[in-house]
Amino acid sequence: MNIDYSKELPLIHGRLSLGEIEDLIAKPMSEKPNRKYYIALAVTLTLFLIGAISLGYTFYYGIGMWGNNQPVGWAFEIVNFVFWIGIGHAGTLISAILFLLRQKWRTAIARFAETMTIFAVMVAGIFPTIHTGRPWLDGYLLPYPSQNGLWVNFTSPLLWDVFAVSTYFTVSLVFWYIGLIPDFAVMRDRTTTKVKKFIYSLFSLGWRHSNRNWQHYEKSYVILAGFATPLVLSVHTIVSFDFAVSIMPGWHTTIFPPYFVGGAIFSGFAMVVTVLLFVRKVFDLENIITVDHLERMNKVILATGMMVGYAYATEFFIAWYSGVPFEQFVFINRIFGPYAWAYWIMVSCNVIFPQFFWFRKLRRSIPVMFIIVILVNVGMWFERFVIVVTSLHRDYLPSSWGYFKPTIFDIGLLVGSFGMFFTLVLLFVKAMPVVSIAEVKAVADGAQPTHHGGEH
Amino acid sequence: MDRTNKLYGIVALFDTPDQIIHAAEEVSGKGYKKFDVHTPYPVHGMDDAMKLKPSKLGFVTLAFGLGGIAAGLLLQYWTMVVDYPMNIGGKPFFSLPAFIPITFEVTVLMATLGTVIGMLSVFFRFPDNKHPLHETPYMTSVSRDKYGLFIGANDGKFNEAEVKELFSSLGGKGIAEIYEPERTLYDAFNPKFVGLLVLVALLVSGGTYFSLNKLMYMNPFNWMDHQFRGVPQQASDFFADGRMMREPVKGTVSRGHMPYEFADSAAQPAEPLANPLVASAEVLKLGQKKFLTFCSPCHGNHGDGDGRLNGQFPVPPSLHTEKLQKWQDGNIYHVIAVGQNIMPSYASQLNVKERWAVVTYIRALQKAGNASKEEVQQYRKENAANVK
Amino acid sequence: MSNDNLQYEKKFLPGKVLNIGMALLAIGLIVGALAFVLDPVRAGFSYLLGFFFVLTIGVGALFIIALEYVAGADWSTPMRRVPEFLGSSVPFFLLLAVPLFFLMNDLYHWTHTAAVESDPILKGKEPYLNISFFIIRVVVIFVLWSAYYFFVVRNSRKQDETRDQKLTKKNIVLSAVFIPIFAITLTLAGIDWMMSLDAHWFSTIYGVYVFSGALLAGLAATTLAVVMLKERGYLHPRMHNDSLASLGGLLFAFINFWAYIAFSQFLLIWYANLPEETVWFIRRWEGAWSIITLVLIVVHFLVPYTMLVSAPSKKNPKRLKFAAVWILFAHLIDLYWLIMPEYHGEKSGFIYVLTEFGFPIAMIGGLVVLFYFNFNKHNAVPVGDPKLERGLMNRP
Repeated sequence: MNIDYSKELPLIHGRLSLGEIEDLIAKPMSEKPNRKYYIALAVTLTLFLIGAISLGYTFYYGIGMWGNNQPVGWAFEIVNFVFWIGIGHAGTLISAILFLLRQKWRTAIARFAETMTIFAVMVAGIFPTIHTGRPWLDGYLLPYPSQNGLWVNFTSPLLWDVFAVSTYFTVSLVFWYIGLIPDFAVMRDRTTTKVKKFIYSLFSLGWRHSNRNWQHYEKSYVILAGFATPLVLSVHTIVSFDFAVSIMPGWHTTIFPPYFVGGAIFSGFAMVVTVLLFVRKVFDLENIITVDHLERMNKVILATGMMVGYAYATEFFIAWYSGVPFEQFVFINRIFGPYAWAYWIMVSCNVIFPQFFWFRKLRRSIPVMFIIVILVNVGMWFERFVIVVTSLHRDYLPSSWGYFKPTIFDIGLLVGSFGMFFTLVLLFVKAMPVVSIAEVKAVADGAQPTHHGGEH
Repeated sequence: MDRTNKLYGIVALFDTPDQIIHAAEEVSGKGYKKFDVHTPYPVHGMDDAMKLKPSKLGFVTLAFGLGGIAAGLLLQYWTMVVDYPMNIGGKPFFSLPAFIPITFEVTVLMATLGTVIGMLSVFFRFPDNKHPLHETPYMTSVSRDKYGLFIGANDGKFNEAEVKELFSSLGGKGIAEIYEPERTLYDAFNPKFVGLLVLVALLVSGGTYFSLNKLMYMNPFNWMDHQFRGVPQQASDFFADGRMMREPVKGTVSRGHMPYEFADSAAQPAEPLANPLVASAEVLKLGQKKFLTFCSPCHGNHGDGDGRLNGQFPVPPSLHTEKLQKWQDGNIYHVIAVGQNIMPSYASQLNVKERWAVVTYIRALQKAGNASKEEVQQYRKENAANVK
Repeated sequence: MSNDNLQYEKKFLPGKVLNIGMALLAIGLIVGALAFVLDPVRAGFSYLLGFFFVLTIGVGALFIIALEYVAGADWSTPMRRVPEFLGSSVPFFLLLAVPLFFLMNDLYHWTHTAAVESDPILKGKEPYLNISFFIIRVVVIFVLWSAYYFFVVRNSRKQDETRDQKLTKKNIVLSAVFIPIFAITLTLAGIDWMMSLDAHWFSTIYGVYVFSGALLAGLAATTLAVVMLKERGYLHPRMHNDSLASLGGLLFAFINFWAYIAFSQFLLIWYANLPEETVWFIRRWEGAWSIITLVLIVVHFLVPYTMLVSAPSKKNPKRLKFAAVWILFAHLIDLYWLIMPEYHGEKSGFIYVLTEFGFPIAMIGGLVVLFYFNFNKHNAVPVGDPKLERGLMNRP
């Protein structure tokens, strides 16, 4: 319980040597998958298949298969889109913002978080794509000199989304790949089979660990982190613009941009913790992804949870303060209206339950944090549901009020999105190093010369 | 990799970061230029030890970033202001605030891609899997946990024996010569590679042809040829009653419609409605038009009961009877609205205003057909005065 | 722990600093008095401007202290005393708020009972915007801030002697509790003092906007003081120039954060174009205000952005000093832009512009005086802090 503040917490437990670190991280890739892995893969693939079938129906019959109808024109698919984009934000936050803040503890989890970003954005990207109704014509979303002489509307936030999400995906992918190059080189020099060697050589591009390269490499990492940070803010900001530039009460409020970003980091961290809890257990990475790491992540969850709570409170207060009857109605309707259940799930999961993380014991308890992060995931999904559906279902005209109920295809797509995400995660842990080998080596005990940094 | 016997350079391995920093300082201090350090991760302070100049990568980023700003703004300006200006939400064509998000995204995209591609291709000259250092025990060691030092044979000061001695004096282990590999020139003409290119070209062109000319005309991609939709006046199994057209909900009232409160009684109401219209020229004109259309076939053009259908149809009474002259406006209105004896209701032909206009016109007819001499003279007098 | 940090020897600030502070205070008060004679209502607005300017420096400094403890940062430990000294101004603001209570009738439209009765919107806000609740809020807010300041600084100073690690732990808990309280109280302070100048207007992001400005002001003042003290050798001799890089980085980050928040607020209101919201921006786009709005974008974002964008400039003391002064000035313009358009006076002229800055100058002078006394009374380096050694070792 008593911490010595004069020393930094060790980043790696058990005083591993550089070689041992490498062996530990590379182990999952060299071993044949065990039965547990196949069971897990079977489960996620089943979920994925459910999603694929729902998607097939949607493709063939159109989006009339969903529950969306007047007045609720945006529902599950937009909720899922915002949810998954939000999940992605934690990865960039850990890899870029914590890098700029020189938080060394990020090294153990950065790779994993970045990977989750990429998968989450891939999953998220599906939803607006199919929401257009005829996804095979989505090329029209890009500005190109067409025969019609038409251009896309650059003042529409939906088009900003196209640019933001695709830029975000590209930059995240590049960032991730840049981080992977030295690790691919390590794998290339470790592996014995010819096929693997060919593949790793191909992706390592011939990396030689040369310091003349490391110099530029580190510089590029700073630059990329410097760009990824405002980029990640811009992405969820633009997602929030989708709602906030309208004049819909409950959507049009100026706090939306920072509020969405805070919520995105919140949900993303919860998802990273959820997955890490399994990964560190299954692949024996407890000494590299330590409880200290998880505790710090839980602190971030607590902090961002309170930011979200702050935004709820502000929105609510200003709605009353504004004196605009429509604003006031929307918020009363959220709390006491037909979707009050969703609102209270959101508030309890996002604001109340994370408060347990005030206590160090609970922050460091694996079962407690598992329950709380799952609840946070649920709560954040419902946050988007509350924003999208409850604002729409009772608008200015009481005669057109309605109640949205999802169809089986809506639910199938939601389930399928989780299936796709976790299938990709499972494939990733077998194919690539889940922890950045080079970065973890660099923060190991005695890895840096003594007269520079370190603590001896 | 097959190697020639041409020397590429000499390498040595060190065990600790302190050793390699010291070694790098020594080697750079001795004036070697073509040397390099290979470490499994970036070692702090190595750039200073090797006397490297600060990385110039930031300038690449700056150039591409500024290019991105320009490209983003110009694209949006040209499309939204010059090529196809449109009024969107009443905002000016050049709405700078709305252009900022995309400008920002384009800037970030170009700057990052420019930086990374520039670094990999220009700074590093990657991909380079045929480098002499690859597939050596040296590379395997520095990949794992050793710190390697390399001096190239093309260095001006290079002397094999001296270098080896320097390395061992610094505490280097595993000192070894690296020889240049056999280089097969023109990898691009490798039949396998050419075959791959041809395959890719065929797949791409075939795929494009197929999707643009065939796939887009198949279900469900076929430009909405087949749609589930309601066709008016036709049967449909979508609704339970088998019809496509819907009836309005019970009790629906169309806009502007006022229900007639005595609609159900055939008898005259005790207190009929009052005429809301003033007998203006406009109202009389409307009343005349409607009267001539709907009433005159039976009642005659002047309401005398001598209509064109005389003989083919029971003759209606004259509108100039004393009973009718004494009736209130509402009584006539009631007859128009619900009918009387053999006369049907004209409610579906005449709306409320038109009915009252007809009533007003009938009043005018009655007045005109039954005026006294004094009244006629009075009228002429006034009219003459008006004309003058 | 090594005893290296005893290399630090306490040095005293020369009396020149006190004189400068006193002179600023005197000049400011004279100009302020002149402003009152010329136009008391306008002087009230300028008093609010000065009040908020120096207050945001103080609370920004408090937030920096809290952030260091909660984030477990060690790079800022050797310079933590500077924000502690700057934060010492916060308790005094309860006194400085008293004149504002007397000026309320001039500043705030919602204090006029007759106006509230005839205006249904103001009537609806009455449960919040009424004089007694307003005063209660102000007192509670300042008591909370002062309490945090007193406890955190007391523990920090006690540690100089006892070197007790438990005090760090106590301060971490204190800071963790303070941060959410700070978020709420600063939002309310922003809404009460500034947003309700136009009692009809509302914006949910306003609290975040005020926060971004306050943190920037606190950071800039800290940077300025740290660089000046370090150059003259008042801080720990082992503090390296590289330690400044984090300050520069944070300044740069929050310049961007401010721009992001300001742009978000503007874009959403501009895009939706609802009259009850746009009125606020339209007022800031009328006549010469449009120039100040444009100047704000340049001075508060573009110039400091270019000044601090490159990595070497973030640790260049000269550049940092200039940037810090620049940012403080930009922050003053920002507050001017927030507060002054709500003054609906007709009078204009050079003399009026000059008098506007009387109260800000006076309060800056007061802050300098306060800093002088605090600095000379206490250690300028937290010698007992367990993280000090780590902070001095830290080389980015």
